[in-house]
Amino acid sequence: MQGGTSVRLYGLEWPKESARISRVFDLLVAAILFLAVSGAFHLHYMLTAGDWDMWIDWKDRQWWVTLTPIMAITFPAALQYVFWTKFRLPIAATFAVVCLLFGQWINRYFGFHLWSYFPMSEVIPALLIPGALVLDVALLLTGNFLFTAMSGAFAFALLFYPTNWFWLAPYRLPVEVMGQLVSVGDYISYAFTRTALPEYIRLIERGTLRTFGGHSAIIASFFSAFVSILMYLAWWHIGMLLARVVTTPNALKHFMGLTDKDEPAEAAQKAIDGTSLQGRSVAAE
Amino acid sequence: MRTFCFHESSCVRVVLSAAAAIMQIGILIFVPDAALAHGERNQEPFLRMRTAHFYDVKWSTNETPVNGEIVVTGKFRLFPIWPVNLPLPEAAFLGNGTPGPVLARTESYINGVPAIQSTKLELNRDYEFKTVLKGRVPGHHHVHPMINVMGAGPLLGPGNWLTVTGNESDFKLSIKTLSGETIDNLETWGLGRVFFWHGLWVAIAIVWLVWWLRRPLLLPRFRALTEKGGDRSQLVTSTDRLFGAGLLVATILIVFFGFQATDTAYPRTVPLQGSRATVEPLPEVPEQVKVAVNKSNYDVPGRSLRMNVTLTNNGSSSAQLGELLTSNQRFINHEVSQAMATVDPNYPKELLPPNGLKVSDSRPLKPGETKTVDIEAADAAWETERLSSLINDPDNTLGGLLFFYDEHGKRTISNVSGPMVPVFTDPDNRTAENPTGGAG
Repeated sequence: MQGGTSVRLYGLEWPKESARISRVFDLLVAAILFLAVSGAFHLHYMLTAGDWDMWIDWKDRQWWVTLTPIMAITFPAALQYVFWTKFRLPIAATFAVVCLLFGQWINRYFGFHLWSYFPMSEVIPALLIPGALVLDVALLLTGNFLFTAMSGAFAFALLFYPTNWFWLAPYRLPVEVMGQLVSVGDYISYAFTRTALPEYIRLIERGTLRTFGGHSAIIASFFSAFVSILMYLAWWHIGMLLARVVTTPNALKHFMGLTDKDEPAEAAQKAIDGTSLQGRSVAAE
Repeated sequence: MRTFCFHESSCVRVVLSAAAAIMQIGILIFVPDAALAHGERNQEPFLRMRTAHFYDVKWSTNETPVNGEIVVTGKFRLFPIWPVNLPLPEAAFLGNGTPGPVLARTESYINGVPAIQSTKLELNRDYEFKTVLKGRVPGHHHVHPMINVMGAGPLLGPGNWLTVTGNESDFKLSIKTLSGETIDNLETWGLGRVFFWHGLWVAIAIVWLVWWLRRPLLLPRFRALTEKGGDRSQLVTSTDRLFGAGLLVATILIVFFGFQATDTAYPRTVPLQGSRATVEPLPEVPEQVKVAVNKSNYDVPGRSLRMNVTLTNNGSSSAQLGELLTSNQRFINHEVSQAMATVDPNYPKELLPPNGLKVSDSRPLKPGETKTVDIEAADAAWETERLSSLINDPDNTLGGLLFFYDEHGKRTISNVSGPMVPVFTDPDNRTAENPTGGAG
């Protein structure tokens, strides 16, 4: 940076006032993006891996371990495309996952605990941050989405189960209830009932993969890791598609009685008829 | 520069729309009362009349303090004329319909078998159930016993209002693990560990984000990437890469050693338990009284179900028709004292239609005797419980249980089922709006 009326940012000259405004813009966009990604990612995640993430007696060694990383790598991959190619920022995965965790805790505490009386021990969200950090660093160090997919996306899924075992283990202690062996997590969800979510609805491991020594979580993690590579590649390209700027004429405003002063009446009528929608313009990246 | 004209009519529309929006928000905030039940009346009549019929349901008490117990017992029969559009009860679970976990369920049994897992049930067989509930959230709660059937959903038993008194903070559900740990309260068990690990990783993530966010972010970086003269090497420096590599190593080490430490702290764990329980139904009791429905009508203006049935007593003792049970409504024949004696004082009054069941001939049916009688179950409950909407359903077959009693009070149960034909008018000019008839 230089003294005087301008500053140098990343090799380019900026008027001081412009640099200051751009910083304010940074903060505004960061705040808006935080809320938007929290909402969107949370919605996506709840629709695809919701029950596994919500309930302590759904976090099994097979389905939860397989599906969660596959469904959770989507937004990080798409955002990594935008953040990296447009801004050279290797923080998209961590940012997305922190947003998701924020949305989950808000949802669990206010929605499930305070509003619906579920104890917090029944509705703890999964942790994805370590995998996201590795995904970001993989992109930073390789600078290439293919290598990031093969290393970072792979690690994103592999780290999922050990990361969550830190806090999950106390809920897998064995207890005897009515002469039956169950885990603490099973009993918590049995005791604090979910009216419309009976036991049989759970999509959980119902048998052991004996061929692999009974290590369901390890097998599930590796399978998830392979699929996560493909999901990462697919969602990187979805990010690419969604980052394209596409505009269409605003026909809606005519229905609301708003017209452009300088727009001829005929053009306005065409907009109402929808004919001008054919005149779509696509701006290049 | 584009500018917009704002027409006067548009202005009026915008103002009216805004006023309507404010009114709607006001209505949403101030008008609704608390939701007090579970939408059981919204379930289709065929679902409520021809799936699970709960009977002999008893609540040990209607009021309990926090941590106090309420024991719910009873029986249910899965109706043999099961709706064709519902899957058979290959997997079923004994639940309890509550407004959230306001009561903790500590035990539940079907025919004495623990009901912590799901099980297969059989049609036209009876099962006995028991659920032990523990007061948790103070309040006045509507609670149902319930059977969840895979593919069919929740089949609700009779709902009762239970009152929990005291302070929620006093609630405790303790248990000792098989590995020796004593869990003081399952509500809060393990949360310290959860908060620690979640907090630690969020803190590390924030360090990583702030490392990048502290520098000029969007437009300067975008320009540096896209404009001539931009210095890309400043966007990602070697220090950044070094920091990232360090973070990568630290992350993997924390996960690895954290996992090892957790395994050491909890060496004996079990996976989630997902087996199915095996429950034998109660011993089959042959139907003593065979019921053949000759005709059944639902009188729309009179709010009354009328059936003409032929009863044949195949047993060795007499049988007197004492009750029609359908959709948790108990239409009791007031002329049969044995039937009246079965009503538990804690039984919800709204499920006991005051007019009860009228039978054209209530005299006991002798062994071997066949008799045709008219029975009538008239009550506003057909409308208020939304059972009369059966006439609008594609499947309008009704179903229920008839309870017969002999002279010693011994009860036998028969299934009754038949198509329901609506009657929209009657000679007394009664209508749904004017059920007493007359010119009005």
